[in-house]
Amino acid sequence: MHRLYIHPLPVRIWHWINAVTCVMLVLTGIQIRYVGLINVVPFRIAVAVHNWLGFVLIANFFVWFFFYLFSNRIKVYLPELDPIKFFRGSMRQAIYYGYGIFKGAPNPFHVSIYRKFNPLQAMTYQIIMLLLLPIQCVTGILLWDLTRFSGAVALVGGVRVVDTVHVLIFIVFVFYIPFHAYLGTLGHTPMAHFKAMFTGYEELEVGESAEGME
Amino acid sequence: MGRGPFARGTIGAAVAAVVLALAGMTGSASAATPSTADQQCLGCHGMPGLEKPLADGGSLSLHIPGDSFAQSVHGGLGCTGCHADVNLASHPPAANPISSKRNFSLAMVQVCRTCHSDKFDEWGKSVHAALVREGNPAAPICTSCHSPHTVVKGVAESMDTVPCKACHADIFTAYAASVHGVLRCGGLTQAPLCFSCHGAHGVSVPTAGVGLKNVCLGCHTNALAAHQTWLPNTELHFDVVSCPACHAPQAQRRVDLVLYDSTTQTEAAEPVGVPEFASPTGSPAAARPGLDPATLFTLLRTLNRPGVEDKTSLKGRLDVRTGVEAHQLTPSSAAISDCNTCHRAGAAAFQSVTVSVAGPTGIPKSYGASNEVLNSAFSIYSIGGFYAIGATRITILDALFVLALLAGIGGPLGHLTLRWAFRLYLNRRSHEQRKG
Repeated sequence: MHRLYIHPLPVRIWHWINAVTCVMLVLTGIQIRYVGLINVVPFRIAVAVHNWLGFVLIANFFVWFFFYLFSNRIKVYLPELDPIKFFRGSMRQAIYYGYGIFKGAPNPFHVSIYRKFNPLQAMTYQIIMLLLLPIQCVTGILLWDLTRFSGAVALVGGVRVVDTVHVLIFIVFVFYIPFHAYLGTLGHTPMAHFKAMFTGYEELEVGESAEGME
Repeated sequence: MGRGPFARGTIGAAVAAVVLALAGMTGSASAATPSTADQQCLGCHGMPGLEKPLADGGSLSLHIPGDSFAQSVHGGLGCTGCHADVNLASHPPAANPISSKRNFSLAMVQVCRTCHSDKFDEWGKSVHAALVREGNPAAPICTSCHSPHTVVKGVAESMDTVPCKACHADIFTAYAASVHGVLRCGGLTQAPLCFSCHGAHGVSVPTAGVGLKNVCLGCHTNALAAHQTWLPNTELHFDVVSCPACHAPQAQRRVDLVLYDSTTQTEAAEPVGVPEFASPTGSPAAARPGLDPATLFTLLRTLNRPGVEDKTSLKGRLDVRTGVEAHQLTPSSAAISDCNTCHRAGAAAFQSVTVSVAGPTGIPKSYGASNEVLNSAFSIYSIGGFYAIGATRITILDALFVLALLAGIGGPLGHLTLRWAFRLYLNRRSHEQRKG
């Protein structure tokens, strides 16, 4: 068993703050949207907590953004520009999750410092971090103070457009978060990836990537 | 004001009235007792029961209570101050047909204009004047509120004598029992009476947009700051929720979707040629089942079809259902401050929906709409500017949410189960193979 340092401290801090705020935002979002049906927290408190968490998420987003922008680790997010290579890698990973894993086949993807995401993971994270999360933050800010941003809200078609986009992305997160947590258990042990996200070190089977190995 | 019912023969009379009024004023011995000249008139007109039959079959009282007139604000003017057209040599005239009491009053208000031109002009812009122009026989003119022969100062400022209640009795009753009415009755003169909010002469349509909210904030200057301490998106709430919607907690609420002309930034008039807005009975809201989401969507698409410059939108507003309820204001401690009252599915406030257009008199005309217009996916386009979290959420998004939740939890659980089942199967098979 080898150890590979693939999660630097800023990434780990960002990840866990992001995880907690995203889960809390989804939960408070459900409370806000379904008040009357769900009454765990008073509406007003849920709104206040949701707003504060939103700003934490935005600030934390910039921690992620600037860390990767000014570090060579940004390579992990660079898209695969060869479509055939990308398609093959994605298919191989999808077949593994949909079939190979049941037979006990090995994970076709091998992690390295600058390639820590499998093709499906990389695509998902690119969509989430560069598209969905920014849109969610912007729509959240607009909804936070509709009067202050009334011009921008009117420009995109009104509060219902903004809210619908915000809710659709919320729905994507409702679907994604449990999947993300579950996929985290598919390491060589169920807790391996979780442990790595705390220590920074991913444990690799013998024969896996040797790049940057300890 | 248009010339229509008033102008006939009155301008000359009005000019003469001013001249004779001055003469009458010099001739009056005292404001408290009728002048000599007036006593001559009161010789006949002081007799109770003196009246003139009218062409419409009614009668016009010609009796003037002399002392009351002398003590009134007009007493100093004397009779000729207003009735300059009366020629004593030929009075009473052999024939002076008056078609009706209303027509006589409509003609005589031009005399009021001679001295009270500022008030008359204010009135000319009011909803009352608009109703008069429309031919409403009950719409008030000067003499409806100010009895010309007995008018004294301060009548409109007392709860006992305020003239508005003659027509708006039910509203006045609601007002009298409200926090405003109780305080006014208790002697607090800062507490508003009718004219304080609606204006005395330039009475505007109280339900028109944010006009009334601004009136409330005229006295309650710290209301915005006070609400900002606890109410998220306070300014937005102030824009789309009328004050009585929360401060008249017993009232029934409704959503009013106002057809709005974005170019002129005013309430749009009734769309022409749209069947949903055909109102031969004058009460379309009661007669029709209501505009459904698809119809409202199509209507907005039609009004904003390519090539049309004036863009039309629907501005939503949460209000109370009736004018009476708008006056049932309570102390602020009793006002609705529980967010759940509105921000939940099925909230009563969102069960009643109307679509309003500007009527010809400025009074909005309301048409019933199905409450589904608030929860339909069509609403993203139709009423893109009105949304209340929880209450007006789009139903199809709820279905998507449930689906995502089930898939998000069910997918991993299913995958986990399959992995477990396969592992069990593979273990068993390898065990059997080892045994075999």
